[in-house]
Amino acid sequence: MFSVIIYGRNDSHGYNLHKRAAISFNALAEVMSDPDDEILFVDYNTPDDHPTFPEAIADTLTEKAKKVMRIFRVRPEQHAHLKNRTHLVALESQSRNVALRRSNPKNRWILYTNTDMLLVSRNPKESLSDILGGVPDGFYQIPRFEIPEMLWEAAFDRKDPAGNLAKLRDWSVRFHLNQVVHNFMPMRYDALGDFQACLREDMFAIHGFDEDMILGWHCDSNLAARLALYRGRVDTLIDKAFGYHCDHTRVAAANNKGRKTTMNSHDRFIWNVSSPYLPNQAETWGWPDVEIEEVRLDRETSYQRFTAGLDRAIKPATVPFTNTSCEWHLFDDLTYDLPHTLPFVCDQVLTYPKTMAVMLAATRPDFVSGFATAWRGMGFTGPILVPQECEGLPAGLPGVTTGHFADLVGKTDLFIFEFGLASQKIDEPTRTGREASALDKKRLKVVERLFREAASTEAETRPAHRRLARRFIGVNVIYNKYWPIFTDHVGANINPFCSQVLAGSPLPQPTGMKAKILKLRKRA
Amino acid sequence: MSKPNILQFLLRRKPAHPGAGDLKSADPERRGQSLFRVGRTKMRGGETEAAVAEFEQALKLLPNYAEAVAARAESLDMLGRIEAARPEYERARTLWAAQRPGAPDRSYLFRQRGRFTFEVDSYELALLRVKTGSFPHLACGNALLAQGHPEEALKCYDRALKIKSNDPDLTALKGEALSMAGRYKQAIEAFDFALATNPKAPETLNARAIARLGLGDLAGANADWRRQLEFLPAGQASARACVALRLADYATALPELEKAIAKEPNEPYWRLYRETALSRVGKPGDAAGLVPMGAHAAEVEFQKGVVALTGDKAAAKVHFERTIKTGPVSLIEVCAAHNELSRL
Repeated sequence: MFSVIIYGRNDSHGYNLHKRAAISFNALAEVMSDPDDEILFVDYNTPDDHPTFPEAIADTLTEKAKKVMRIFRVRPEQHAHLKNRTHLVALESQSRNVALRRSNPKNRWILYTNTDMLLVSRNPKESLSDILGGVPDGFYQIPRFEIPEMLWEAAFDRKDPAGNLAKLRDWSVRFHLNQVVHNFMPMRYDALGDFQACLREDMFAIHGFDEDMILGWHCDSNLAARLALYRGRVDTLIDKAFGYHCDHTRVAAANNKGRKTTMNSHDRFIWNVSSPYLPNQAETWGWPDVEIEEVRLDRETSYQRFTAGLDRAIKPATVPFTNTSCEWHLFDDLTYDLPHTLPFVCDQVLTYPKTMAVMLAATRPDFVSGFATAWRGMGFTGPILVPQECEGLPAGLPGVTTGHFADLVGKTDLFIFEFGLASQKIDEPTRTGREASALDKKRLKVVERLFREAASTEAETRPAHRRLARRFIGVNVIYNKYWPIFTDHVGANINPFCSQVLAGSPLPQPTGMKAKILKLRKRA
Repeated sequence: MSKPNILQFLLRRKPAHPGAGDLKSADPERRGQSLFRVGRTKMRGGETEAAVAEFEQALKLLPNYAEAVAARAESLDMLGRIEAARPEYERARTLWAAQRPGAPDRSYLFRQRGRFTFEVDSYELALLRVKTGSFPHLACGNALLAQGHPEEALKCYDRALKIKSNDPDLTALKGEALSMAGRYKQAIEAFDFALATNPKAPETLNARAIARLGLGDLAGANADWRRQLEFLPAGQASARACVALRLADYATALPELEKAIAKEPNEPYWRLYRETALSRVGKPGDAAGLVPMGAHAAEVEFQKGVVALTGDKAAAKVHFERTIKTGPVSLIEVCAAHNELSRL
């Protein structure tokens, strides 16, 4: 019957985002009763190494919410062409259009709302699907009522949407919440963007949201103006449902700077709209030709993929715990516990696109074979690119492509550099003071050289289709000689030694003579 | 005419009180709409009971006045008479839905349903504050044009164009108003201007085709309709069917009508047109092509012409000529009749 379209990002937009979003997702799912109903969440520009926002809070969502939710992940790379035109990190029009394009064509209605709304039918026996199924074609709004922050934060149970809706019915009377704020047409009510129901075919006819609106605010009003033109009227469903908003102004969101807030032009996008249509984006709105990843919370979850990969690559531990040491006298010992480290490496790559290619420059053959097994097990389909300069690594592994570093460096989307001892066996103890053999040193030298070259030439070797820097993952680069080397070139956080892994984007290369000399001195 | 008094102009009212001038009008339409406006003012002013009384008076004059039904329902709701309000909300929606929208191949504004008194009232209020926006003028113009008042709509569009000069979309709407007023030459100039910016605008091509037909240029009109067909997306089957019918191109219309029926099985015109198309391509129909209740006389004449074509071409010619004489040039049947006549 209807597709709810909402958007967001795995960040901290406003006060206690996680709670109000979970309340909202669960409440929206609760008022759905048609098998085709869906919540389309566009996760816009979350960093590649983060999960999407709904994945991050999945444990607080009801089974129904997980079942009806489809997440469309718009990658930072897909946003990169707009990055210099806006101060915002998440774009409303683009997000909503991406979802609209990919919405269930069986659904008659599209409902635009936000991740902090609860919709309460006035007749408790009626679902929103019943309501929308019973009204004629049109463009409908409802008034939005505010819930004081204390109420939703203190009294709502995220996983009890029916209870929350019942509480709202009670509070609305006890605390006089229901105040309709009328507005100028075409914005029939204030905060209209929290409930705009329109026909899916109308949205296609008018070419979606205006994708020129990239400065934030008023996208909803622009849509109202255009749909008001298209339909002639803005109708109300005030007799059917009330909308409640979890107020979140204790802390201003990123797009709210008070009177200094940058906004889309009110005049241009509302008061001087002259057509419902946007012919300039008629063919391109919602990025029909861009492959957008779809993530589900009820199948093939990140956890399922992670465990599937690691279960194939490593066996369960046979002892209660193992040991290592970060004492400084062991600084030169490059042994590490592979079965312990591999989960942390997989954790670094899991949230990336399944089709991406990864370059793996390594010393330990068991690391390469273990990672390759986990990679496939996690559902990745892209190739693992192994430079043939790294000798002694297993050949013929499925999904592994070997070639000259120079040929592979322009094809990879991500780099992994592993600095271990080629001679270390899987059952050897770690960090006991072992010295590197001549062979180990030879192999490490190659990986180090390739790392330096990859990091310092990343921008020049970047594939043509990429605008953003590729990420570097360093394995066994904490509290040993490769720590400063790695962090000289890569902007990595300080990580616990126990994880063995650092990651980040390449640092800008020194350009001045003084900086170059300093860098050379450091290397020496 | 002052900016906020567009509906007053249409209803010839004094500006002192919304609708005051027409409260004594003998025309029930004017009086009903005035009562509605007074009711809205009282509703906004918190005089809800009094507003209900105004809406009820309006409804006595205009029982199918959906805006008044909806406003009365909302007033009752505000008074806590929820059970009384609930069916009235539904009734308003049913009334709006029952109105026949315009042809789907024409400008969006002809597909709107309602008297738009509520909207115009609200836009006029907006105009008290919004001095640099063309939108309220445009929206009022659309409401007036949709109700069949082109000269008044023109004034609105001209005001909008003063704020947003040379805007192709506004100019195209102005062209629609000129065309409806019978000023076809000026209308074509307006459409030419709009099409110079966006040559693929299907609705503007349709509008220019109608204006060209109004000037007697059937070939020019057909050329625009053919271009419109090129640019109309496959998903807009009903619109495509209507354009094909204007061209009297029944073979093209048939599959589009099938799709339109599948999507809107209760729309009687798609069934009627399907029968028409089947008859014209020499295929047997499913049932007699009954003209829906309340159809325009020209629509009836056209159907008679289609029936006559099978045996009596002279009689068909007479019916098609009557179609053209009695119907507005924008009517699908009038356009099709022109094409039928050109082939007889």
